[in-house]
Amino acid sequence: MGYLLKIWQLRHFWLALVRIDLKNRYRRAVIGMGWSLLHPILMTVVLSVVFGTFFGVRDVKYFAPYVLSGLVFWNYISANCMQGCHCFFQGESYIRQHPAPLAIYPLRTMLGAGFHFLLGLAVVLVVVWCINGFGNLPHLIDLVPAFVLLFFFGWSLAILLGVANVMFQDCQHLIEVLLQMLFYLTPVFYPREMLQQRHVEWIANVNPLAVMLELIRMPVLDGKTPSLSCYGIGLLVTCIAVGAAVGTLVRLERRLIFYL
Amino acid sequence: MQLIELQDVGLLFRVRRLGRISFKEYLLNGLFRYSKKNCFEVQALEHINLSVEEGARLGIIGPNGAGKSTLLKLLAGIYPPTTGAHRVVGRVSSLFDISLGFEMEASGWDNIKYRGYLQGETPRSIQSKTKAIAEFSDLGQFLDMPVRYYSAGMRVRLAFSIATAIEPEILLVDEVLQAGDQNFQVKAEQRIKNLISSARVVVVVSHSLESLKGLCDRVLWLDQGRMQMLGPAEEVIAAYLKTKNPPTKAIPAPDDQRKAA
Repeated sequence: MGYLLKIWQLRHFWLALVRIDLKNRYRRAVIGMGWSLLHPILMTVVLSVVFGTFFGVRDVKYFAPYVLSGLVFWNYISANCMQGCHCFFQGESYIRQHPAPLAIYPLRTMLGAGFHFLLGLAVVLVVVWCINGFGNLPHLIDLVPAFVLLFFFGWSLAILLGVANVMFQDCQHLIEVLLQMLFYLTPVFYPREMLQQRHVEWIANVNPLAVMLELIRMPVLDGKTPSLSCYGIGLLVTCIAVGAAVGTLVRLERRLIFYL
Repeated sequence: MQLIELQDVGLLFRVRRLGRISFKEYLLNGLFRYSKKNCFEVQALEHINLSVEEGARLGIIGPNGAGKSTLLKLLAGIYPPTTGAHRVVGRVSSLFDISLGFEMEASGWDNIKYRGYLQGETPRSIQSKTKAIAEFSDLGQFLDMPVRYYSAGMRVRLAFSIATAIEPEILLVDEVLQAGDQNFQVKAEQRIKNLISSARVVVVVSHSLESLKGLCDRVLWLDQGRMQMLGPAEEVIAAYLKTKNPPTKAIPAPDDQRKAA
């Protein structure tokens, strides 16, 4: 608790860092924030065309926001992993000067990624509203627990991989490969039914990332409340990640500076 | 009241022989065997017993690599001791490595805010100080520029101005501060003297023995991480001069800094 309080007391510091990160990213871009959205939107267009023409996905109206929400979600996860790897190096000069709680540096990474996630989700919502009308509005409240889970899940990921990368420099390459694998194992850009048709639906059922993605997609795309078991799995996975992150910090928080 | 207390404190650095190792190597070398073989150990501090009471001004002297800067960082809470117990009561402000820790892409103004926040300021409290900091740094319109384009001297000036714009309880100073041009040098020295007189406890690391005599009432002489002598400033400095015959003029010791890092 004291630790969380310290983090809260330094909120001006890490919030300012998040702001500068966002500002830097868009400073040289003419269309500013559009850039971070343009990438998933273009990918969506490409994938919709490809799947619509070659794989016989007929319902492009449903498929486009489906892919976009998947990519937005995936970008959040992979940003937490890849940028999380660098979070302590990024904050190294602060760490060397001031004994602030180390968790604020992964928090900086996560909040930056989270900002883009929310921005992307807003676009998804607009697309869904344009296509299907406002039927999903009453179910958007179901996103709140999902956001809470994703907040802690992303933060924990960044902490774990940040520490891992300080200890072993090649972690980021391993993570890159692992992420690529997970990307194909998660129904991010292909319809879930494709797994069903090939009787490998269990892949999506045991993959916690797929479950988390469902927590976002169900309310937004289908206007349904995700089942309790979905929330249960999400909560369980988040708790495991948080537990691992807390354990790592308890063990290594003070000593991490020796490895930087 | 004792504000700083160290009991038999030791600090052991494990340095990897080949720099950082990769996860692959770690697995290949067998899970735990490498850790003994591939590291060599540096006992940076050993059996340090120190208690500093309210109002004390302590100087730390010693040759390069004696552990002076390391001790300072330990007091600041950046390095944890590997053995022994330490207790530091009060708000610590440290003046070392100050030219690091800028957001390179952000302007000088923004960096004043970030540093201030890190030192525990709030948006409101920093606002009233920003102008004074800017004035003291003498950077003028350069403050609108990203810090990336600053010269080394300008960075130090900005960092120093921010770091000293606080009311410290425990002040830790490393002498590497002596940077910037002549004009700034004079101002900086005056500012440090003011800080030293207002802080409750001051610990200074310096090679400039003459100025230590003026600043400190007690001096700790470190050698190879051990306490050689602790006592009244004049006495310790005289003994130190007798055995070592070190330079009496201020010589910045970048070497020392590296070691600590």
